[in-house]
Amino acid sequence: MGRKLLLEKAHVEGIRYFDVYRKEGGYRSVEKALKTMSPDQVTEEVKKSGLRGRGGAGFPAGMKWSFLAKPEGVPRHLVCNADESEPGTFKDRYLMEFLPHLLIEGLIVSSYALGSNDTYIYIRGEYAWIVDILEQAITEAENNGFLGKNILGSGFDCMVHVQRGAGAYICGEETALLESLEGKRGNPRIKPPFPAVKGLWDRPTVVNNVETIAAVVPIINDGGEEYAKIGVGKSTGTKLISACGNINKPGVYEIDMTNSVEEFIFSDEFCGGIPNGKKLKACIPGGSSVPILPANLLLKTAKGETRMMNYESLSDGGFATGSMMGSGGFIVFDEDQCVVRNTLTLARFYRHESCGQCSPCREGTGWMEKILHGLEYGKGKMSDIDLLWDIQRKIEGNTICPLGDAAAWPVAAAIRHFRDEFEWHVNNPEEAQRRNYGLAHYADPIHVPA
Amino acid sequence: MAEEKKMFKVTIDNISIDVEPGTTILQAARQVGGDVAPPAMCYYTKLKGSGGKCRTCLVEVSKGSAADPRPMPKLVASCRTTVMDGMEVKNITSERVIDARKGVVEFLLLNHPLDCPICDQAGECHLQDLGYDHGAEGTRYAFKRRTFDKHDLGPYIQLHMTRCILCYRCVFTADQVTNKRVHGVLSRGDHSEIATYIEKSLDNDFIGNVIDVCPVGALTDRTFRFKNRVWFTKPVEAHRDCDKCCGKVTLWQRGEEVLRVTARKDEWGEVNEWICNTCRFEKKHINDWVIEGPTKISRQSVISQGHYVDTVRPKETIKEVMGGRDPKLLFDIHTVSEVNKPGVDLSAIPGPATSDVFDTKGKAINPSKP
Repeated sequence: MGRKLLLEKAHVEGIRYFDVYRKEGGYRSVEKALKTMSPDQVTEEVKKSGLRGRGGAGFPAGMKWSFLAKPEGVPRHLVCNADESEPGTFKDRYLMEFLPHLLIEGLIVSSYALGSNDTYIYIRGEYAWIVDILEQAITEAENNGFLGKNILGSGFDCMVHVQRGAGAYICGEETALLESLEGKRGNPRIKPPFPAVKGLWDRPTVVNNVETIAAVVPIINDGGEEYAKIGVGKSTGTKLISACGNINKPGVYEIDMTNSVEEFIFSDEFCGGIPNGKKLKACIPGGSSVPILPANLLLKTAKGETRMMNYESLSDGGFATGSMMGSGGFIVFDEDQCVVRNTLTLARFYRHESCGQCSPCREGTGWMEKILHGLEYGKGKMSDIDLLWDIQRKIEGNTICPLGDAAAWPVAAAIRHFRDEFEWHVNNPEEAQRRNYGLAHYADPIHVPA
Repeated sequence: MAEEKKMFKVTIDNISIDVEPGTTILQAARQVGGDVAPPAMCYYTKLKGSGGKCRTCLVEVSKGSAADPRPMPKLVASCRTTVMDGMEVKNITSERVIDARKGVVEFLLLNHPLDCPICDQAGECHLQDLGYDHGAEGTRYAFKRRTFDKHDLGPYIQLHMTRCILCYRCVFTADQVTNKRVHGVLSRGDHSEIATYIEKSLDNDFIGNVIDVCPVGALTDRTFRFKNRVWFTKPVEAHRDCDKCCGKVTLWQRGEEVLRVTARKDEWGEVNEWICNTCRFEKKHINDWVIEGPTKISRQSVISQGHYVDTVRPKETIKEVMGGRDPKLLFDIHTVSEVNKPGVDLSAIPGPATSDVFDTKGKAINPSKP
């Protein structure tokens, strides 16, 4: 049984309310940080912990904090990215719904470290009821002296504001989020300048994911070095994984990065295996935008090692034979699922969510969706597969923000690993409407592509 | 103290140039000039914040700077990346750039209607130039293109959203040149459009400039609509005393008639100074203007067709190329060509000639076959 840091108290009765949360040991980190530590010490602890950003890219959070420009007389901001819209990812929702005070606590400590007096939570518009939960938590914290002016007599002022988005996936990209927060159209900005220099209202800004902020609480409580002991190598601490798809027990799981993927899918502690005695076909291990992996490459890396649930092991082999930890949206496919259809679904999502600012993404996502639609519905040609490959290659890396890459990767990985399934769709257009390609060799023992 | 300004040395396609710190790669390349300058569809020097969207100006930075010589992993938008001292940039010498640019041109033309024969912008369209210079011969897009209805934005400007490439230039113009912007971009993705939300007219003294900044034929001058092709008109520089703007314009004449008035543009197709609506739309008589002289037009432009300046005629004549023969008529070539099968008598075919007719190695065909 792995150690739980974030979700340990998630099911204590009434933990959503301040009194219970406080009784269970909440807001200790605020007292510790504000009374005994300087802001730089807090940053140093986070650096020592090796905490990596939980939003998807996995950039070390302490490093990000230390990049924050600190000019005299210019206010700085911390923005919490709660615009969780990646298909397959729902860990932040769980965290905010059950433990709103954990987020608020993390925000106060982080704001103290960064010197942010006005901290914002930019929350996905569809999470309307969570806004109420958070606002209640903020009011409670304010009434108990943990927010507002002169917190705990330390002279540090901090206020947390909740802002609802309007339902755009692109606003999860940090610069688009800032534009949206400023009240403009949510188009990603062109970097540089990075938000750490010029962010919200041209002020230095740090944008962190909900889970990253929440992880600051155990880091301060137990110390950064203690936190770094959990996990493997550079994947320190615990990570929330939102598992869904064809598994017996979908839900949010906290792992300490020492489990193997096989254990995560099949053990009763976590996903509990595949229902109805089906076989595992494929899995998207980190939210819809990371490459899909067939079962053989998912359970073992190309080198034949067991694949573990951590940042390094999941990305072992690069995109040729690996994937990414991403945001932790673990989507499992059994043998009845069609990869072409799934890729079409994802392509449709990215087409719909592209902001339309830069041309490769705006035009390319729509084109890919149309080609995939043709392939899925029996109108595909063999040349379409190569065309798709060429389109994704021309989108990837040529766009302003990572959404272009996120749209290109799932298509690329599907063609890379499941090309025979695409070809089968072209060769058997009518049969493909009625039945699925099945397992083929994906669940077979490891084969290493050249 | 007038300290000597430190200049940054930047190498673009193996040509070195010293530029001021803060210059973008694109501007440095334009100082070098010629083919080294990347094409730019959305960047506009006069408009703050423009650029970075169309991705045609992508270049490869093979050496970041003298201090940090690592190459940049991705291609960068040259219009928004400032130079560093000792930077080395590859534009047309990089395979990656050529390939990516070809892709971007294909993406830009994906939903473009290609209605150049009836488009007022034809002849001075940046997308046409881009397509000729960097595009592929054909498209691989086999689906219906997205279309929009035409909109009249007030009495002077018409919007053909179908042709738009969403460069945002007109949005920046309205933001920065006029005092109140009433149009913007609605929706997102490939269905986003330039619009005024509920059909409004654009009425501002300087709103006519959006026509000049539009790189394609999406925003066109209603007073010039379908009047003429730009290459039949003669551009003339002229000025008048205007209390609103500088009054320096280019008149596009046919004979004595002034068909259109635009701002003066530099060699990169960017206007020198904004002009007001009165100059642009109302002063359409030759007596309103003081003529300065003909506008210099690039020799490569279709507008200068028929009156080339300083052209060098090719030395070799057809006679030399044809190995001593001097064909006067087309069928002279026809009769000696292997390809055209001179044995086939076209008048003997009962109907249009098809490839079936010619596949008999030049022998007489079967006339009964339709």
